[in-house]
Amino acid sequence: MAEVVTTSLNENQTRAECAVIALEHVSREYTGRGASVRALDDATFSIVAGEWVAITGPSGSGKSTLVNMLGCLDRPTAGTLKIDGADLAAMSPTELDRFRADKIGFIFQQFHLIPYLSALENVMLAQYFHSMTDEKEARASLERVGMGHRAQHLPSELSGGEQQRVCIARALINNPPILLADEPTGNLDQANQKIVANLLKDLHQTGHTIVMVTHDPEMAALAQRKIALSHGKVFCHPIGGPVVSLRR
Amino acid sequence: MKLTLGSIIRRSLIHRRSRSLSALTAMTVSAGVATALLTLYASLDTKLHKEFRSFGANIVVTAPANTPNLAEQVKKAAGPEALTAPFAYAVATTDRGTPVVVAGVDFPAVRAIDSTWQADAWPTAPNAALVGQKAANFIADERTLALTFAGQKQTFASAGHLRTGGDEDSRIYISQADFAGWTHASPTVVEVQIPGGAPQVEAALGRLRAQLPGLEVEPVRQLVEGESRIVDKTHALMFGAVLLIALTVGVSVLATLSASVLERRRDFALMKALGGTQLQMMALFLLETVLLASAGVATGWLLGSAAAWAISETNFHTATLPRPQVLPLVLLLNLAIAAMAALLPARALSTLEPASLLKGE
Ligand SMILES: Nc1ncnc2c1ncn2[C@@H]1O[C@H](COP(=O)(O)OP(=O)(O)OP(=O)(O)O)[C@@H](O)[C@H]1O
Ligand SMILES: [Mg+2]
Repeated sequence: MAEVVTTSLNENQTRAECAVIALEHVSREYTGRGASVRALDDATFSIVAGEWVAITGPSGSGKSTLVNMLGCLDRPTAGTLKIDGADLAAMSPTELDRFRADKIGFIFQQFHLIPYLSALENVMLAQYFHSMTDEKEARASLERVGMGHRAQHLPSELSGGEQQRVCIARALINNPPILLADEPTGNLDQANQKIVANLLKDLHQTGHTIVMVTHDPEMAALAQRKIALSHGKVFCHPIGGPVVSLRR
Repeated sequence: MKLTLGSIIRRSLIHRRSRSLSALTAMTVSAGVATALLTLYASLDTKLHKEFRSFGANIVVTAPANTPNLAEQVKKAAGPEALTAPFAYAVATTDRGTPVVVAGVDFPAVRAIDSTWQADAWPTAPNAALVGQKAANFIADERTLALTFAGQKQTFASAGHLRTGGDEDSRIYISQADFAGWTHASPTVVEVQIPGGAPQVEAALGRLRAQLPGLEVEPVRQLVEGESRIVDKTHALMFGAVLLIALTVGVSVLATLSASVLERRRDFALMKALGGTQLQMMALFLLETVLLASAGVATGWLLGSAAAWAISETNFHTATLPRPQVLPLVLLLNLAIAAMAALLPARALSTLEPASLLKGE
């Protein structure tokens, strides 16, 4: 179990060695239009394999900025960011695209399914751009999120919760070491939130690393650890430790 | 089931029916108009020259009386393509004692050259005459049309009246054979019609003058010059039309394609996030564009050819057959329009940030 592994690694130095995500003095500054905004300020922390981390913080605190970098969609302006041992700064944009497809499975708040492809084809699309399509695997992935019987349906024929499950099936299909979820239940009602929460629990139990942005305390409570952001500053909570509430 | 670039494009085109249709329509219109204009353009020269030919001869050869074998000489010098019609003239007196010009002609040859002449009926039998409608006023009895030339009286039967609006209306036309037997005079004027435009007429003039020294060879100036002016103007007009239409259609295709990318930027951003390369995105978008352009060319060519046929049928009374030769040209034009129109959206694609997906845009 992940917790068993992580609780034994309570020193930053030892964590760094088995970290799938490691940030060292990472900053992200947006410049332009005569002003500069430091959206992320000197962040140093790491996330180890199998960990479930919730990123919380008020609006404008830098959550998306952080997640963009963890998802290899953006790069730090200072500091080093290593994902699965590779330094992002050393990669060309094309290499970064490839790396992202390999390492990150995205779960979006708005699901982002292609409207003209069926549930099955949406999952296969991730295979297509990653390597090659395999219908059997794609079906298995849909079965896993309980959507096997809706494989031929278009996104418009699915409920929000069902679309999110397809999105999760798509995120899982290429076996990425990291699942990145941005407000995965932000657009869902209670019942569907529960289904998705259970799915994430299940994935965590089977060893997936999950990084999740959420406003919802209930969802955040499911994670092992919270990374709270405030004005671009990172506050890491110790693994399994008490949750400190931040001043807003 | 397999998911390929082709099946993704097919799904996208079918799902976004109205967008695909409007792009296809723009492409079809451009291809159709280009096809119609190019098809007409290709046969325009022939058509216009043919049209001008109906106005009559473009060269007239005049010879002194009793020039032997005049018609044959002119025919030989004018070339096998040219039409010739010899005319022999004499002044006779009618039964009312009025002098009238009588012409001996080869009726089929005259009919071929002077296709605007309107005759009630063309004489075919011996001793039949075609009477100009003004000349008819000087005749008392047209059924036994008595004419006197140098004391020789000869009777003809009027086959009908001739209306040209010119001097011909005051003359009486009879066949060459009847004329020669009666007056013993041979042709002194040969009308020549050279097919083609001004350069061809100039060349024929030179040829005739060189081979027939001593004869008067003159072009029908007005006609030749007017003709080349009209042909040039029509060319310019058609060029302008093609250009203008290409531009208009280009703008509308640009708008359609831009909208097509804009409304799908989320989809493209997602594909990028899933590991789609710049090349794959471009291939997806450009292949779709090429597909629409090609489909537009296929339907546009058919419609344009039909339009060219109809236009030519109503305006020139001859059918313009579809020209497969214009197909590659139209395809090229449409692809060029599509490529120019696709440039902007393709740029938008290349700067697309998948990060926008996380912002929930
Ligand atoms: N492209 C940009 N250019 C300039 N400033 C930016 C840019 N993107 C974000 N910022 C600024 O960086 C800061 C952090 O933004 P970010 O989007 O990371 O916040 P967030 O925590 O995700 O907020 P929310 O919960 O509302 O999504 C904000 O002050 C924002 O204005
Ligand atoms: Mg955000």
